[in-house]
Amino acid sequence: MAEEDLLLEARDVVKSFGLNLVLKGVTLTVHKGEVLSLIGGNGAGKSTLMKIIMGIYTADKGSLSICGQRLEGAITPSRAMKAGVYMVPQEPMIFPHMTVSDNVLMGFRGNKADLKKRLSEVYKEIGCTIDLSRLGMTLSIAEQQMVELLRGLMRQSRVLILDEPTSSLTFDEVQTLFKIIGDLKSKGIGIIYITHRMAEVFEISDTIGIMADGRITLNGPVSDFTREMLVNALLPETKKKEARERTPIEKKIRKAMPLIEFDHFSGYGFKDISFKVLEGEIVGIAGVVGAGRTEFATAVFGREKPLGGRVLLDGTDITGLSTKEVIRLGINYVPEDRHLNGLFGISPVASNITSALLNSKLTGKGGFLNQASENSIADRYIEDFRIKVTSRFQEAGSLSGGNQQKVVLARALATMPKVVILDEPTRGIDAAARGDVYGIIYKLREQGIAVILISSDIDEIIELSDRAVVFCQGRISAQFPRSKINQENLTAASFGVYKEDNHAA
Amino acid sequence: MLLKLLRRYELKALAFLLGMFVIVTAVNPSFMSAESLTNCFNDSVVFTLLAVGAGFVILTGEIDVSVGSVLGISSAVAATCLRDGGSLPTAVCLALLIGAFVGLVNGIGVAVLKIPSLIFTLGTYGVARGAVYVYTGGAWVENLPAWFTGASHSYIAGYLTWFYAGVVLLVVAAQILISCTHKGRNFIAVGDNINGARLVGINPTQTKIWAFVLSGVFASLAGILFTSRIGFITPMSGNSYEMKAIAACVLGGISLSGGLGTLVGAAIGAVIMTSITRILVFLGLSSNYDNTITGIILIVIVVVNTVIQDRAILNSHREISLKRIAKEAFKE
Amino acid sequence: MKRWELALLVVLVAEIAIFATANPKFLMPRVIFGSINDIIPICIISLFVTMVMITAGIDIQAGAVVGLASIVLGVSWQDLGLNIWVAALFAIAVAALVGLLTGYIVAYFKVQPMVVTLGGSFLYAGLALLVSTLSSTESYKGISGFPDSFTSFASYRIGGVLPVQVVVFLVMAVFAYVLLHRTKYGRKIFLIGINQNAAEYAGINTRFIIMTTYVLSSISAAVAGIVLTSYLGTAKSDLGASLTLPIITAVVLGGTLMTGGKGSIIGTALAAVIIGELKFGLPLCFRVNMQYLDIPVGVLLLVVVSARAVASRPGFQVLVHKLKSHGRN
Repeated sequence: MAEEDLLLEARDVVKSFGLNLVLKGVTLTVHKGEVLSLIGGNGAGKSTLMKIIMGIYTADKGSLSICGQRLEGAITPSRAMKAGVYMVPQEPMIFPHMTVSDNVLMGFRGNKADLKKRLSEVYKEIGCTIDLSRLGMTLSIAEQQMVELLRGLMRQSRVLILDEPTSSLTFDEVQTLFKIIGDLKSKGIGIIYITHRMAEVFEISDTIGIMADGRITLNGPVSDFTREMLVNALLPETKKKEARERTPIEKKIRKAMPLIEFDHFSGYGFKDISFKVLEGEIVGIAGVVGAGRTEFATAVFGREKPLGGRVLLDGTDITGLSTKEVIRLGINYVPEDRHLNGLFGISPVASNITSALLNSKLTGKGGFLNQASENSIADRYIEDFRIKVTSRFQEAGSLSGGNQQKVVLARALATMPKVVILDEPTRGIDAAARGDVYGIIYKLREQGIAVILISSDIDEIIELSDRAVVFCQGRISAQFPRSKINQENLTAASFGVYKEDNHAA
Repeated sequence: MLLKLLRRYELKALAFLLGMFVIVTAVNPSFMSAESLTNCFNDSVVFTLLAVGAGFVILTGEIDVSVGSVLGISSAVAATCLRDGGSLPTAVCLALLIGAFVGLVNGIGVAVLKIPSLIFTLGTYGVARGAVYVYTGGAWVENLPAWFTGASHSYIAGYLTWFYAGVVLLVVAAQILISCTHKGRNFIAVGDNINGARLVGINPTQTKIWAFVLSGVFASLAGILFTSRIGFITPMSGNSYEMKAIAACVLGGISLSGGLGTLVGAAIGAVIMTSITRILVFLGLSSNYDNTITGIILIVIVVVNTVIQDRAILNSHREISLKRIAKEAFKE
Repeated sequence: MKRWELALLVVLVAEIAIFATANPKFLMPRVIFGSINDIIPICIISLFVTMVMITAGIDIQAGAVVGLASIVLGVSWQDLGLNIWVAALFAIAVAALVGLLTGYIVAYFKVQPMVVTLGGSFLYAGLALLVSTLSSTESYKGISGFPDSFTSFASYRIGGVLPVQVVVFLVMAVFAYVLLHRTKYGRKIFLIGINQNAAEYAGINTRFIIMTTYVLSSISAAVAGIVLTSYLGTAKSDLGASLTLPIITAVVLGGTLMTGGKGSIIGTALAAVIIGELKFGLPLCFRVNMQYLDIPVGVLLLVVVSARAVASRPGFQVLVHKLKSHGRN
């Protein structure tokens, strides 16, 4: 493609957070009218790269030019926007109490009538159908993205970044979005499209870039790729063979009786989930972000009302019980977002660990708090889990990510559950802490506890699970016994393209 | 144009006010006279200004409980100046300067030092109230010139006072400021989504400081009208008015979490607040019911609004979750 | 004892020392203990508003509840003919009901506590006034003529020195301390204030706990109202009208975080006493006009919160660190 068609060029971008090297020299170009699909697992560095392009983060090394203009020095979001890029974030930043047109025009200077006129032109151009007088809070995610798109177009952006725009859209909304992307493309706007969905990649992109481990590992026109290549390319190099050659870990003989059983369990965000977990078994739940796994787990845990089906614990129906009851009966859940739902940041480590035990006699009788027993419980977990603290009174929020996660794990396990649901237990923690967490999970299995492990890290599912259940768009797309848990199967099933016959041989 | 800006919350408040009038008239037809109707509005000038001022701050998501004390100190200073033969412009300028200064201090404390606004303005509330005692020596400021106290009774047309006409103009100007100018629209943007505001290039610190300054200025203006209407100033003048001003904002549809509501709404809320007393008289109830009814109205309106809004948000979340589910089961 | 509480203690001791040097009479047990009589409502109520604020709530209606309890006591004694102590229990029950309603709206409808209690401050002040009109006595006069056993209660001094009010305060403080810092209920209050979601995930019934904190603060307001009625010998509907802001001041000065999750009974109690002594000592020892006292209290609040805000800024902490290491070199 011609040089003058070049809209965006990022060259040899390097970025590290502390000791963690996130981008290891990434080069990326976008031309006029090009849709570049950027694919990669969680933590591959996609969003870091995009935030650097948008001026939210500053790169350690590398150069960036937008529309032929090389951006030197510190790039701020407003500079990047002026130069001609706009990112539609995965969760749009909408003013909930403003109308659509105010939402789009906020932050602009100039005659209001002129702006409105330009808005209505842009609006017509992309065939938008949202009523401009509606309030931000009434918009669906798809419509909010539309507002963000309008914001970008009103700033006459030449490059639009769409960060997983379809993850919360319905099928029809996706089709509308694709039509708009087609229109923008024909107007010469360059688009970087980040997605997890394989089918979409082939539907809309001109070029594909695959990111893994802080690099772009493959880059080329869409015609050079097949679906299998994408799935393959997403696997980290080293794991491809190793995964298949692993010998199954020796297991204890278990009772035939399932400890927990889901029978056509349905709720907001998931439907007809049926599987069993035996005593001392680790069942991994794989899937992409937004597949309904967390919704499933929180519904089991009494945080959201279920819509149908049953959950049986030891044969007793526990569907729809309150969190307090569920904990008392022997289930605990380690939430995905530990800052939002797990950790009491400005509270001491000890009271974090005992927080789920306050309804039990273990922390004291007659409503009084027994400091001595609380301390001994806390000390036991601090020692067992190797939580690095200055004392049990250190504020939990001041610990490192890994140690915070151990505290949240300790909180759940202190209630002596029979079933533990771990939601992304190792997200965002370092390798050493990850090893410790794995050790804890193995120990739980030895103790005969049923473990449900939700993870977006496929390696983690492979390493730990005795069985794997794969969620896709709120349903179970496949279940695998230990022998069939491998990168290819899990990836394919996560994207809903797993077919039995692929692996019949 | 203006009507379009008013959207539903203000219309609801207005409908509520009219409804109140209709009910009173039904019970006691003598209420339906030009005099008693316009008096409902004339009486509200002080609270209208206080509520509109506090409204700027509340729209940005903060709160200002110092307005009653600012009214007290600025009216004491202005009244003393007038009593001692000072000219009106001098008195007004002094009052406005005091209001702007307290507002600036509040703004810096809240926006720069990041101290919760309730606490910080609570502090300035105490200091400003104490300053009234120090300034007046605990005595009343009386014997104000007749031309000044008479100003509150001069009518522009019929029973409508010049004061109310002026206040209406101010409210309209303030409303145009926040809904039609770039700087003004920032108030709502900051209160609605402070991170979104930063993203589109708005400076929240500056915006909040301006809101507090405006609040102080409006409170001192209210102080001048207050002085003219009452005719004397006591050290307790304006005490506990801040709560009524905030209540007027809430009644007029301004959300205490910021970003929602209009200043015209706050003005209507102030009229509702002041009318309740007058209306009770016509209903044959004593004014003892005043606070009870205000409290009930306030709580009921807020509970209903919150419940409706929460329902809507929960339902839309649930709807989206349901839409994400694949239409057909996968073949396993 | 934590650092903040220690700092408050130092401030209190310094305050007393200054007052004592200015006027040695200040240290006489009769005088110094007597000082608490004027501030007893603030002391008692702020203890329990502390709990509300630790859950990240706020209670600005407590002052109105003081008046309501006082007038309910008076009317039910004078006009319903109840025994004075039964009437007192009745007043507490009414206040508990009021707190239950407020707490229910805050916790279960998730309405902002500021708005609910703002509405409550109007509603309960209004109700108090209406209750006072039920009485045969004009409301502005207040109801008086209580039996001696009741009026002498609050003025009684144990051993002729220690006022019963101080004892009431100490008992309430110990009760609040044990409840907040020694029971599971208290622990739950802290956890809810720090992270309500996480508390829900820990199986804590957060809404119920939040509701009960408002019941407690209303009951404490009623107790304050009864003590005040006994001390003044008169039941009036507007007894607590000016209490709201001093209460919040005491709680905040005591180290309670507005955003919830942090606070202590000892801190609040010390802060309330500091404010009380300030209001008592300045006129006594420095002849400061009683009416000017809002200024020192306001300044105290502003200086303390500003200093704390500045000290917690990252820039300042870096500076301190640099100064420290500089000093070492």
